Amino acid sequence: MVQYSASLDTTFAAVADPTRRGILEHLGGTEASVTELAEAFGMTLTGVKKHIRLLEDAGLVRTEKIGRVRSCRLGSRRLADEAAWIAQFQQMLDARFDRLEEFLARTHGECR
Amino acid sequence: MTTTHITQPTDREIHVERIVNASRDRVWRAYTDPKQVAQWWGRGHALDIETMDVKRGGHWRYVEHEGTGTHGFEGRYREVTPQERIVRTFEWDGMPGHVIIEDVRFEDLGNGRTKIVTTMLFHTTEERDGMFNAGMSGGMDESYSALDRLLAGTT
Repeated sequence: MVQYSASLDTTFAAVADPTRRGILEHLGGTEASVTELAEAFGMTLTGVKKHIRLLEDAGLVRTEKIGRVRSCRLGSRRLADEAAWIAQFQQMLDARFDRLEEFLARTHGECR
Repeated sequence: MTTTHITQPTDREIHVERIVNASRDRVWRAYTDPKQVAQWWGRGHALDIETMDVKRGGHWRYVEHEGTGTHGFEGRYREVTPQERIVRTFEWDGMPGHVIIEDVRFEDLGNGRTKIVTTMLFHTTEERDGMFNAGMSGGMDESYSALDRLLAGTT
């Protein structure tokens, strides 16, 4: 059971960083351990772990500890699709609430 | 302009918060007076309020005209607590029989501001995803999201 509770903000924050996009691209080709990713991106283990955690929180990457190695791969496409769905949904809701605010401002005092 | 804050507390729920600069009484009227609903709910598209009987068990039906197409939405009110809360069922004609529970609460923040807290509860995660798939492939909005473009750009 995948626990998915990432907000849209989390997802966008996760993919807004070029290093994290690079990690996603890398994992799109193959699974990799945290150590391999650190080497590939010329980063410290601590640095790369921070990026992985953000991507994992957004559901875009999954990690699994096998023995002493933490293996990373792309999260399910479904999670990316869900985030895309939320983005569209947010647009729809924003448009609706913007209209509501506009209406409330326009009718100020008339609808008491 | 404030922004809409969306979170997913569980995989069947979507939680939406928005603060507006109007008293709770005015927001309540904007949500419950059909003439007022018609002026904002359609996001700028023409909206017909075919029926709107704001009381427990009462039926509501809106038809939104978007370009050459129309989208019908309907349901029944399950709870109506004046000034405070509206719970209603919500169905889209595009997926008949799949019912969302929409729970809207109005919090008076004082100084003429109101927080609108909406929770949408889907029967199953599959239904929520189904609605997403229908929305994506059904021509309601063919545009890919910014996220998809970003991810596509990484390949």
